[in-house]
Amino acid sequence: MASDYTDVLQKLCHHLKQFCEPDAQITPQTDLIHQLAIDSVKLLNLVMEIEDEFDISVPLNALADVQTVQELANLIHRIKSAQ
Amino acid sequence: MSSTIAKLNAPLTQAFDPRLLNESPIVITPTPTYNTQDQRLADFETLSAALEYAAGGVAGFNFYDAKGNLRSILPYRALRQNAQISARRLMGMGLTSGNRVAIIADTTPEFVELFFACRYAGLVPFAMPVPVNLGSHAVYVQQLRGMLDAGQASAAIANVDYINFLSEAAEGSQELRWVGTPEQLGKFAVSDIALPVNTPEEIAYLQFTSGSTRIPRGVIITERALMSNLQGIVRHGLEIRAGDRCASWLPFYHDMGLVGMVMAPMVAQVSVDYLATRDFAIRPLQWLRLISRNRATVAFSQPFGLKLCTLRVRDSDLEDLDLSSWRAAGVGAEMIRPDTLRNFADKFGPAGFDARAFLPCYGLAESTLAVTFSQIGKGFQSIQVDAGTLVDKKIAVRLQVEGRKYSEFVNCGRPLPEHTVKVVDDGGQELSDLKVGSVLVQGSSIMTGYFNNPEDTEKTLQPGNWLDTGDLGFLFEGDLYVTGRRTDVIIVNGRNIRAQDIEELAELQPEVRTREASAFGITDSNDITTIVLVIECRLTSVADRQSLTNRLQRLVYMAFGVNCLVELVSPHTLPRTSSGKLSRFAARQGFIQRTQPTDQLSAESGEK
Repeated sequence: MASDYTDVLQKLCHHLKQFCEPDAQITPQTDLIHQLAIDSVKLLNLVMEIEDEFDISVPLNALADVQTVQELANLIHRIKSAQ
Repeated sequence: MSSTIAKLNAPLTQAFDPRLLNESPIVITPTPTYNTQDQRLADFETLSAALEYAAGGVAGFNFYDAKGNLRSILPYRALRQNAQISARRLMGMGLTSGNRVAIIADTTPEFVELFFACRYAGLVPFAMPVPVNLGSHAVYVQQLRGMLDAGQASAAIANVDYINFLSEAAEGSQELRWVGTPEQLGKFAVSDIALPVNTPEEIAYLQFTSGSTRIPRGVIITERALMSNLQGIVRHGLEIRAGDRCASWLPFYHDMGLVGMVMAPMVAQVSVDYLATRDFAIRPLQWLRLISRNRATVAFSQPFGLKLCTLRVRDSDLEDLDLSSWRAAGVGAEMIRPDTLRNFADKFGPAGFDARAFLPCYGLAESTLAVTFSQIGKGFQSIQVDAGTLVDKKIAVRLQVEGRKYSEFVNCGRPLPEHTVKVVDDGGQELSDLKVGSVLVQGSSIMTGYFNNPEDTEKTLQPGNWLDTGDLGFLFEGDLYVTGRRTDVIIVNGRNIRAQDIEELAELQPEVRTREASAFGITDSNDITTIVLVIECRLTSVADRQSLTNRLQRLVYMAFGVNCLVELVSPHTLPRTSSGKLSRFAARQGFIQRTQPTDQLSAESGEK
């Protein structure tokens, strides 16, 4: 559902804000690696927060195809919907 | 053979694994700590002989999920049985003795079964990594392809989560005869061919070193070398005894995970509790909980893993932990900083962790796993040496006066029986105590060479079968102290990254010419290593320069999962040797001078 997706995106952006500069603009197209500089250690923290927030388990194989905020939100939404 | 070639594009039935989510935990009990058979410490000729013996007892492997629930158990008895069945399937497929089988090594019972199945069938398995980085799809597939090629694999296996990557990597391969999942393998008929008897001379497995994108190198380890190293580990290094139990999060595709925490416990009939690497990395506390709950006595980690625990475990978590059973906290696989150990001990002392459990050791895949062990039960020892003399004269002078700048190195102990360590200068001359040089190892667990790579083998295995480890260090009263890597390897967050791999990645860009990129690591006083990539660049437009910088950072991240600092300099800035080769050491010095960091650079800069 669209509202679910919007909710996921909003919550995700909220978590992402803690990993970057306070004035960073986060949009669905924002690149996690380059624009937000999410390195491997930050990624672990982010995944933990996502898993706790959404009560899901994020498989590593799926992260290999994630580069933008939108792609990550889609992934979370897909996992949640599959529950 | 056509009948055995599986469909590469079989649909993925399950994109995600919902098992962790909603099901109530199944009630199963872990394999016991105390065994019903007499303990034999690795006095076997081969791995399969060791498993035959272990199958007579009740110990085995236990797999836990991210929430700490026991998901499956694999007693050695069941492992033997399942491995033999799979071995007959592999043989029935037409694979013959010595053929290589590539297996993506997730932390699962299936991986372990397949690994031993290969041994029972006389095949040579090698473990391949799982993807770990954001957006790494293409790079990961390339990495797999490199390993499949370098190992000339005849068959390749991955579970349903990774089979798509593997199939992609296998496209167009001439050597591969079968690619599939363990479930697909299970559909093959169990042939009644007699299983061959393994011999000490045969190759036990290949171990690929580092996650490089360049041609990966498969270390050849024979059964004899393996059993020699395992014997050293369980008898001499760990002094394994009844009542021991292991807990591990180390990846099965890493030598410390595979040799140290799968094979070593098995050849001593000890039970192990596993947590997937990913689950540890996200919630390190789960590993400590496993140790606490199951009263584990032996658990290894890279220093980076200990650091994660120290950083990520909250004080409130400590109340439920009792780490007092942990008698061997092995630390190895990268430079050990005394502060990493001190911080860990400070943090977990209140939870019963005994600092005397620290067991620093040194080793590398080219020597199966272990080379030296410090003395068990004594904790870690270190010495402080004058930082200036170390850098200028390459001599470790023990600190006499307070207040001088010093470097502190952890004692990695003495070589295992049947092994010798020496330190040599650039000319190959053996150095006396406290003089820093290249660390060389000779002994019974040294590799035969790199698979199908005589060039690198010759460079690494020197006359007299001395293995050049690529590490720098010194000896003192018989003990080894490692001071750093030579400049060709950068260690970031516990991962070895070859400088050359980064440079080659840069040189693939149209704007960058060959020999105009130099990569190295700099480590600040907080022990944070950053990769620096210096590029000689002719671009003048700000936008073009920014585009190149961004692209390089992105490529390095996707390939290695780390951020890097890119510096564009004008042509002819990078220092070259008389033969025209770039000198990374000099490039690094130049960078430091240009940027003038206020932080004192670490003593890890002891390169040539």
